[in-house]
Amino acid sequence: MSVGVKRYRVGAILKYVFLVAVGAYFIVPMLAMARFAFQAVPMALLTPEKLFSGWSFSGLGTALTDPEILSAAKNSLMLVVLAIILNLVLLVPLAIVTEVRNPGLRPYLTAFTLLPWVIPPIALVVGVAATFRATVPWFLASIFSLVPFYALWAMPFTYRALDAGLQAINARTLYEAARSMGASLGTIIFKVLLPNMRASMVAASALTAAMVLGEFVFASLLLKRTLPTEMVNYQRGDPRGGLALALFVMVLTALAIGLVVRSLRRRGLNVQTTGL
Amino acid sequence: MATVDLIGIKKAFGPSVALADFSLSIASGELVCLLGPSGCGKTTALRILAGFERPDAGQVVVEGRDLSNDPPEKRQFGMVFQDYSLFPNMTARENIDFGLKVQKRPAAERTQIIDRMIEVTALQEHADKYPHQMSGGQKQRVALARAIATSPKVLLLDEPLSALDAKVRETLRDEIRRLQLEIGVTTVFVTHDQHEALAIADRVGVMSNGRLEQLAPPRELYENPANAFVASFIGTVNKMPAAGLDDGRWQVLGRAVPGSRPATGGSSDIAAIRPEQVAVDPAEDGPAVVESVSFLGPITRVIVDDEGHGRVFADIISADAAGLSPSQRVRLRLRDDVADVVLIGE
Repeated sequence: MSVGVKRYRVGAILKYVFLVAVGAYFIVPMLAMARFAFQAVPMALLTPEKLFSGWSFSGLGTALTDPEILSAAKNSLMLVVLAIILNLVLLVPLAIVTEVRNPGLRPYLTAFTLLPWVIPPIALVVGVAATFRATVPWFLASIFSLVPFYALWAMPFTYRALDAGLQAINARTLYEAARSMGASLGTIIFKVLLPNMRASMVAASALTAAMVLGEFVFASLLLKRTLPTEMVNYQRGDPRGGLALALFVMVLTALAIGLVVRSLRRRGLNVQTTGL
Repeated sequence: MATVDLIGIKKAFGPSVALADFSLSIASGELVCLLGPSGCGKTTALRILAGFERPDAGQVVVEGRDLSNDPPEKRQFGMVFQDYSLFPNMTARENIDFGLKVQKRPAAERTQIIDRMIEVTALQEHADKYPHQMSGGQKQRVALARAIATSPKVLLLDEPLSALDAKVRETLRDEIRRLQLEIGVTTVFVTHDQHEALAIADRVGVMSNGRLEQLAPPRELYENPANAFVASFIGTVNKMPAAGLDDGRWQVLGRAVPGSRPATGGSSDIAAIRPEQVAVDPAEDGPAVVESVSFLGPITRVIVDDEGHGRVFADIISADAAGLSPSQRVRLRLRDDVADVVLIGE
C-alpha cells in the first residue's frame, strides 16, 4: 500500500471517528433523557438490560392536556409570531438599506447586532425593565413585554440570515440594474429584493421561532408564563412528564425547521446561505 | 440616439485618485470602448456616467443637457453588468418587461417590444425560463435585451463578457455590435480585453491611472500609438532604439526611415516596432539567435535574442518561416514595406 493511499484511508477513518463522537455527544444525552421520560422504571434500574421494558407515553399525554401548559404554549406561539414580525419589520429594511446604499456600514452593523449576546440577560432585563416601568408600566405587566426582548435576543441570528440572503442574490447589483431602468426605491424593494429574500426571511423566522420556544431566562426574570417557564414548573410536580414534554417540543421544533428547509429546497431556494 | 460628453471629471476614493481630469466626447450612435488595466478608472468613469457615483468635479452632459446631478433612474440609460444581474424571481420575458412596466407603457406595446427583443437576441426557446435555468451566454443576452428594450438614450456595458467562456464571448461580442448598429444607440463598453475593444469599437479610449491616454479608432490606435503606454498595451510591441540622421530620418534596425516626428542629427529616441514589421534573415554570422518558433496558423511567431536590442518578437508568414529553428543565428531588419515608424519617446 502506498503512503498516499494509507494517508487517504486514515483520513477517511478519522472522519467517521469524529462524526460518531460528535453524534454520540449529541444523541446519548437525548437517549438517556428519552429513557427517563418514557420508561416507567425507577431511575436506579434504568440499566441496559431494562432497555425494552416499561415504555409508556402516558406522562406526555397528561402533560399535553394540562390546561396550564396549553395556555403557556399559546402564549409562546403568540410571542413567536410577534417576535418574528417585529424582527423582520426592523431588520429587513435595515439590512437592505445598508447593503445597497451604505455597504461601508456592514462591518459595524454586524458587530452591533452581536451586542445582545455580549450583554448578560439579567443586565438587559434590569435596564430595559426600568425604562418600561418608568414610561409604560402597563406594558411591562403584560406578556407582550417579552416581544422586544425576544426580538433583540434573536437579532444576531436574524440579521446574519438576512445579510447572507442579500449577499447570495447580489442585492447591490440588482438594485443598480433596477435603478438604471428607472425603478423607484419602493418598486425595487417590493418587486425585486423582497421576493428574492424569501428564503433568508423564512430562515430568519425559523431561527427566531426556535429561540423563542426555548428561551427561559427573560420570561423567568420578568415573571411571565411561557412554555419553557411552565415546563420547569410542571417538571417540579412530574419530572418524567416534564422531560417528556421538553423532548416533544424539541423534536417538534426540529421537525418544523426541517419542513421549512424542505419546502424552500423544493421551491429552488438556496438554504445553505441562510444559516439553516 | 444621443451625444455624450464627460467634461473634466475628477473622482477620488480617499487618497486614491480614480479619475484625474477625465474628458471624453462620444458622437451620437457611436460605440466607444474604454480599455485599460485593472484600477485605471474605466469602471469609475462608466459608473459616473450611469449616475451611480458622483464626480468630485466635472460635468456629465448628454444631448447637451447637464445630467451631473440626476440620479440613475432619471437618466434613461440602459446598463448591462458583468454578473448579468437578472432578477432571479422573474423569467427572461418578465426581466425584459421590468423596465417597460416601470415606464408604464401600454400592455400591447410591451408585448410587442418584448417579442421583438426576444427575436433579435434569439431567445425564443428561453423566454419563459428563470435565470437559474439558463447558461451564462443566454443570461447575458437577456440582460442585453432588457437594457435595450426601454429604448435608452445611452447603452452602458460594464465588462459584459468577462464571465463567459472564450467561444461564447466571441459570438456575443459580435451580437452586441450587430444589435448596436441595428438600433443605433450610443454605447460605452468597458473592457480590459483589447481584442474585444479593437473588434467592435468605433473608437477605443485607452486609460491609465485615471487618465485617457488616447482615444482613436482601433486601426489608428494600433498603428499610431500616442505614447509608450498605449503602444505596449495594444498588441505586442518591440521598443527599438532609433538614431536621428541629418536628413530628418531615423536609423532603426539598420534602415533609415521617416519617423512620426523629424530627427535631428545625433538625436535618439525609441521606435515602436510591431512584430509584423520585423524580418528575420538566416545568417551564420548574424548577431541574433532564435529563441523559439511558435506556429500560429497563418503566421509564425519567432522570438529572437538580439545583441543590440534584447528580446525581439517577429511575426512572419508561416510559409516564409519554414527555414527557422531555435538556436539558429539570424539577422534582424525592418521589413521593406515599412514606410515610417512611430516614436514613443525615451
